[in-house]
Amino acid sequence: MSTKRISLSFLAFAILAVGSNTLIQAHTDDTVTVYSSRKEHLIQPLFEQFTQDTGIEVHYLTGKGGDLIERLKLEKENTPADMFMTVDAGDLWYAGTQEIFQSVISDEIVSNIPSHLRDPEGLWTGLSVRARTIVYSTERVNPLELSSYADLADAKWRGRLCLRTSKKIYTKSLVASIIHNKGEGAAEAIVTGWVDNLAATPNAKDSHVMDAILAGQCDVGLVNTYYFGRLIEEKPDAPLSLFWANQNSTGVHVNVSGAGVTKHASNKEGAIHLLEWLTSAKAQAIYGSLNKEYPANQSVDSDKVVSAWGVFMQDDMNLSFAGILQANAVALMQRIGYK
Amino acid sequence: MDTRCFKSNIWIAMLALFVSIPIFVVASAWLLPGGELWLHFAQTLLSDLVVSTVILLLGVGFGVSVLGTMLAYLVVMVEFPGRRWLEWALFLPFAIPAYVLAFVYLGVFDYSGYAQVWMRETLGLPGFDIRSGYFAIILTFVLVFYPYVYMMARASFKRQKIHMIEAGKMLGASPIRVFWQISVPLARPAIAAGLLVTLMETLADFGVVSLFNYSTFTTAIYSAWGDFRSIEVASQLASLLVLVAFFLIYFERRARGSAKYYSTDVSHIRPYQANGLLGWLLFVFVFGVFMLSFAMPILQIIIWSVDVFDKEWGGNYVSFFVSTAILTLSASILTVTVATILALPSHCKGSSRILQVLIRLSTLGYALPGSVMAVGLMYGVQNISLVNEYFGGSSLNYLLFGSIALLLFAYVSRFMAIAYNSANASAEQIKPVYQQSARLLGASRFRLVWKVYLPMMTPGILAGAILVAVDVMKELPATYILRPFGWDTLAIRVYELSAEGLFERAAVPALMMVVFGAILMFAFNKLDSSRM
Repeated sequence: MSTKRISLSFLAFAILAVGSNTLIQAHTDDTVTVYSSRKEHLIQPLFEQFTQDTGIEVHYLTGKGGDLIERLKLEKENTPADMFMTVDAGDLWYAGTQEIFQSVISDEIVSNIPSHLRDPEGLWTGLSVRARTIVYSTERVNPLELSSYADLADAKWRGRLCLRTSKKIYTKSLVASIIHNKGEGAAEAIVTGWVDNLAATPNAKDSHVMDAILAGQCDVGLVNTYYFGRLIEEKPDAPLSLFWANQNSTGVHVNVSGAGVTKHASNKEGAIHLLEWLTSAKAQAIYGSLNKEYPANQSVDSDKVVSAWGVFMQDDMNLSFAGILQANAVALMQRIGYK
Repeated sequence: MDTRCFKSNIWIAMLALFVSIPIFVVASAWLLPGGELWLHFAQTLLSDLVVSTVILLLGVGFGVSVLGTMLAYLVVMVEFPGRRWLEWALFLPFAIPAYVLAFVYLGVFDYSGYAQVWMRETLGLPGFDIRSGYFAIILTFVLVFYPYVYMMARASFKRQKIHMIEAGKMLGASPIRVFWQISVPLARPAIAAGLLVTLMETLADFGVVSLFNYSTFTTAIYSAWGDFRSIEVASQLASLLVLVAFFLIYFERRARGSAKYYSTDVSHIRPYQANGLLGWLLFVFVFGVFMLSFAMPILQIIIWSVDVFDKEWGGNYVSFFVSTAILTLSASILTVTVATILALPSHCKGSSRILQVLIRLSTLGYALPGSVMAVGLMYGVQNISLVNEYFGGSSLNYLLFGSIALLLFAYVSRFMAIAYNSANASAEQIKPVYQQSARLLGASRFRLVWKVYLPMMTPGILAGAILVAVDVMKELPATYILRPFGWDTLAIRVYELSAEGLFERAAVPALMMVVFGAILMFAFNKLDSSRM
């Protein structure tokens, strides 16, 4: 009966598929393997350039930061990963505590990247900077009314504020920085004020926050600058503008994407080479412009679109604190009921 | 129990236990301390989460049962305009991942979406936040998951004896009464099976609830793990989900009682005709569901992908297709093979309560969120590897992470529920008389299975295979964690692009997934109707 034959051949096929331990790529000395929570379409052009410049191949696997850390912890010495790259300082710090990284002392990295964007012990280095600041409707808000993150808790913004969900890492890191700069008591008052001022349930995405402002559901919000950049690119006439928060105090909250060499890297030299290359001026220019972020290397000019937003004072809190205080920040938000 | 039964039962028990490994790993977390974090959750989130989860389950459960059953009944029992193509069109929403549908709905119906903008500008009505409250999210889940109940109920209605309905009609029962007191009770196992699967999927969902920012139990799991780095509490919470699923199954079995549902007749005659206005009203209703659950989202996805197609399309799509195809096909075949073995009728199996519990246990993986399943498996492998090393062997870690074996195992464990329920529904409809006659005529067990049971179970097995295939194609979290290098699937591509806000580009792989899924559903329909 033909159905039987088909079923049998499918079964055989399945067994073959399982049996074929495929795709453990031959690791030549010249291959650097990267586990990355930075997405594929943002790292592929970069690694291609590296291969062009140096002849060294890069194999990479993308995944969520937390999951990749679990995987690295389980793989231990057997891990194929030489480098671990993430998109958040909290993940970088946590990976450091889980002995994922090994300390790398490199003059090149130290001179390229400012110290508040690097781990104090050389476990990881930031590679690009993303700023999270105030976005507002130019039709309904006078920029003179804006000043700081804390000010958004003021009653004058009642029913006019749109925020991203507390579940997203950007929010957690921002609140962590507020706890660091002002203490937990003040942070709790600020976040409570934010929640009282919300015009709608916190949004799942920054782009939704901006859509809500454009539609008139609210007047101000907090976003990462590159999302703003993308929206303005599509709709140059949108009545929306960025405001650099905390310029009279601690500066705009920033976060980094970064990387470090894994503890059990089989190609340690290759990984260090790649890391140093990533901090170099040429790579930094590409890295930043791919996602409209700021280069961590201060000597490199930002992408034109990015520079058009103007200069601002950054918060120079060491970004390890974004990780150290993450649990506190989340517990605080959960206590207050900030969804 | 004689020794022959014991031997065969042991094999089946071991198979069921093997598939249940992730559940045991997750449950074993109760041996670890969790203390402080539980206290924090209890004081802040937990009561809200439990309430939201219960409301969601009740609402979605009610919604899919009603909608799925009504649609199935109309399409099988009533002749109305457009019935023919709507019958199989209603399968199609199954090909769209839940988070994609939710995303489109929010895009269209939320405050800044087309519908409300039009409402505000043209009608002058005030806008509102559809993400607050329960209605919108329940409706979204219902539109995403009704196909489960629809497919199961439809298969069951098709096999119902036309004579029962005719008898009802002759005795003067109205169509509603026939529906309620004859057709639905007969279809109850099928409806219950679809409902169960829906509720478990709802429990395990992460994408839709994230988009709506609706906190469910799963939210606490992810918070425990991601924020507080407590894999112990995360696993403990996840095991509670499994417990809920277990109770759902238990209640369903209890409520069913010992009634047996046998049927082999397949009716082509539709007992009811709806002409004129009623017919068109029915068409509008059914077509409306189709529009909302498939046509409108697909249109939106097509519009998005058309502009950016050139930008997104590239050489790596070949590898996406190949990875998706191989994973989907292998997982589907493996899962239904195991499911069929577990579902085959046997008096040995029937006489062992423990075995039946174990088999049911093996289907609970469906209630585990994909990430939990994947990490549970990784720890399971780690422990087995440690045992192996203790006895002098080498570490197994690298091998298992380097191939797709672990990922396929995750799929089998996760999707066993669908395959088993489907195969089992077919198996349960086999009248005992077949087994008895075969035995009388001297057939061996093997012949009985090969020549009688398998052919009769084939519709259920094939249905299960296709459903598993579509679900594997859509699967994201476990695939993301366990895949080896170079095995990105279409679902992963959709996720990575939309996570970075590149929604239009994400529409391209999403569209391809839906096309493949639609092809699979079309095949399903063809196989289905050729056997009937």
